[in-house]
Amino acid sequence: MDILIIMSVGIFIGYKYFNEKYSGINSLVQTLCTALLIFSMGVSLGSRPEFFSELYTLGIKSIAFSIIPIIFSIIPVYILTKKFLDKKTGDKK
Amino acid sequence: MIIIALISLVAGVLCGQFVFDVNVINMFSHISDYALYILMFAVGISVGTNKQVFRKLKEYHVKIIIIPFGIIIGSIFGGIVCSIVLKMPLNESLSIASGLGWYSLSGVLLTNLGGAQLGTLAFLSNIMRELFSFLSIPFVAKHFNKYTAIAPAAATSEDTTLPMLIKYTSADVAVMAVINGVICSAVVPILINFFFNLF
Repeated sequence: MDILIIMSVGIFIGYKYFNEKYSGINSLVQTLCTALLIFSMGVSLGSRPEFFSELYTLGIKSIAFSIIPIIFSIIPVYILTKKFLDKKTGDKK
Repeated sequence: MIIIALISLVAGVLCGQFVFDVNVINMFSHISDYALYILMFAVGISVGTNKQVFRKLKEYHVKIIIIPFGIIIGSIFGGIVCSIVLKMPLNESLSIASGLGWYSLSGVLLTNLGGAQLGTLAFLSNIMRELFSFLSIPFVAKHFNKYTAIAPAAATSEDTTLPMLIKYTSADVAVMAVINGVICSAVVPILINFFFNLF
């Protein structure tokens, strides 16, 4: 919950006060924090002795978690855009 | 970004397994709390700064919501199906699917909420969503319609998969893709928190 509040404060500051010339620094901060967070995720994951044996299971599960939501996203978007959006722009080639 | 992410993950795993002792490992869990706060603040600024999106939102009215709405509903349903197929707790499964392809954020949020294993599964699943989006965009644009090509990309349609969408769709669809990406990215942390704590 605190994360959402912090993000909302960021949105407000970005909308009202943020000077766009600093957007490069902002995106650098995001990249550094993301790299640090993923590194720490790796550290706590790698500190588990059984990590390498779990990797295979995680791999199989993550393939399912990528393909199944993709397929189920395509279906409603196709139905909704066919019904509600401009046909000329979205039609097949 | 994808390269930096993978290098960080592999380096972290190797350090955790072979280099760091328990004290250093515990220290990293504190550091990551603060890094997450800074990241979310910076992400908020990015969303807020993107004023063109706010203007387009007014222009397209409610129709702009159609694509992200379909993607979110579809991904949630996909999460339910994954929970049944993989015999996983529904809250974990729904929160992973709520990553909508934003692998870095969903990985760190779910590490924070449910531990490193769940975080890594979210990370890998969403990184693969991004990879499979690259591969499926040309196919979907050709065989369904051009708007639907945004569906696999989900939250990534404003940055990493945007060049692919521009190539295989039209300028109008590319604008929709950016807006879709902003909306999906804004709801990712909300959905993950909501679903993880729901059950």
